[in-house]
Amino acid sequence: MFGRLTAVDRVDLAVEPGEIVGLIGPNGAGKSTLINVITGIEPPTAGSVVFDGQRLDGLRPAAIARLGVARTFQIAQPFRHMTVRQNVAVPALFRGRSAPRVSHALREADAILETVGLGPKRDFPAHALTTPDLRRLELAKALALRPRLVLLDEVMAGLTPAEVNEAMELLRRLHGDGLTLLVVEHVLRAVMGLCHRVVVLHYGRKIAEGPPARVTEDPAVIAAYVGTRAATR
Amino acid sequence: MIRPAQAASGALRQGLRAGYATAALVAAGLLAAAVFPLVAGGYYVRIVTGIYMFGVLASAWNLIGGYTGYPDFGGAAFLGIGAYTTGILLGQHHWPFAGALLAGCLLAAAVAAGMGVLLLRLRGHYFAISTLGFLLVLQQLAANLGITGGGSGMNLPVARSFTGFYYWMLGVLAVAVAVGEAFPRSRAGYALAAIRENQDAAQVLGIEPLPYKILAYATNAFFFGAVGGVYAYWFTFIDPPTVFNIDFSIQAVVMCLFGGPATSLGPVVGAIVLKSLDTILTNVSLFLHNVFFGALVCLLVVFAPRGLAELVRAPEGLWAAIRAELREHRI
Repeated sequence: MFGRLTAVDRVDLAVEPGEIVGLIGPNGAGKSTLINVITGIEPPTAGSVVFDGQRLDGLRPAAIARLGVARTFQIAQPFRHMTVRQNVAVPALFRGRSAPRVSHALREADAILETVGLGPKRDFPAHALTTPDLRRLELAKALALRPRLVLLDEVMAGLTPAEVNEAMELLRRLHGDGLTLLVVEHVLRAVMGLCHRVVVLHYGRKIAEGPPARVTEDPAVIAAYVGTRAATR
Repeated sequence: MIRPAQAASGALRQGLRAGYATAALVAAGLLAAAVFPLVAGGYYVRIVTGIYMFGVLASAWNLIGGYTGYPDFGGAAFLGIGAYTTGILLGQHHWPFAGALLAGCLLAAAVAAGMGVLLLRLRGHYFAISTLGFLLVLQQLAANLGITGGGSGMNLPVARSFTGFYYWMLGVLAVAVAVGEAFPRSRAGYALAAIRENQDAAQVLGIEPLPYKILAYATNAFFFGAVGGVYAYWFTFIDPPTVFNIDFSIQAVVMCLFGGPATSLGPVVGAIVLKSLDTILTNVSLFLHNVFFGALVCLLVVFAPRGLAELVRAPEGLWAAIRAELREHRI
């Protein structure tokens, strides 16, 4: 709650290891707030966040990151004056017990950059990247934490259809390597194509949950997005 | 077509050659510095010792002001702690100078770590003012406590040789520059660069900001304390207004920003240039000398309000950045 505004209202959300769960809902539904609560940027007013048997609420964001929960930001947050390579080396250096030495971290960053397709641009200053590349960089930085769960905050926004396909391919590959994903998304094609299960938020409340095909047919969901008249037609 | 392995080893060889060249330059510089007192008169040795002193202060300030982005104006507080600690241990308890000096450095660092827990939670102007407040409090404490000799100050034993201080200051400078060189490449250096660029992003990537800021602040204090200790033995007499003097802080800031906080030698260059100008001006006109630093601060505020660091790092080049600053502030 923010003062008298309830941003997220008793949302019960569970994600099993190995799942790709989608989180959708109209703007202002509370999706980003939920992500912020999970990653420790906002403390929950009530309720708890549990990750693999451990409570996350009350922990500092850096500690949560080190426990294996990584996130990308809706508006990319690169370290603008550092190179792409250095940007990815940073989380590698601070992921906790398995953190390497500086020289090894840089080499690890190179490998991760290859995975996301930024290899050739590793020496670019981060402020020189295009939007799709900035998204890749966000993802690369999240991966450098060696996370078990990645929270993706609207990674597909503003991408062309071809770029969306590439992104979906990349996420499928990463999922195949053992990553669990919570995908906050507006691009419905990505949600349908990637997610095993979808949760819908509206005005801070969970209004639907289930396989993507079923959820997108749900009248309550359609009403939330387009208005009640369209749903009752 | 050059094969990747060939290209890599070529780059490596080039890097090593550059490394050898730098090492050779550094060795030559140190050698020149080492024999300088043997060829120059006492007056010049004193001046150069003063230059070394401000080189240390500017380099140290760079750690907290440049790399971390926290403008500290209370550095003189740690200089004073170093000066008085050295004075008390050396003068009243007859410790050897090296031990007294080290004790002063460590105490200054410890106080910084303790104060940092409180002060480093503030940002920007609030931080700057709070460090200033801390400096003034310490000045008053020193003026009112018996152990420091109160307002009448403290005398230290007179040293046998004067040129010793030249070498002490040179040694401290060498260590300060080495730390400033190694720091940005270290894990802590990466942490602080990330924190400075975007603290929120740094946090969700596993960096807990406060411990790293404290490290930078305490290291800065260590070197200010070292200067204080050498200064106290060198000048033989210290009192609160002399060592807990904001001038030390201000000059460190201006020299660092002038020389360029982006590199480890920038602050030293700033110290050399500005201190030399300052000395020359003192001989030309006392009036000019007094306005020199004030005028410099005004110029910096007008042409580089966000600091020279931003200008120096500006991707569009120095001149374009200055023009953009002027346009933005409608001058």
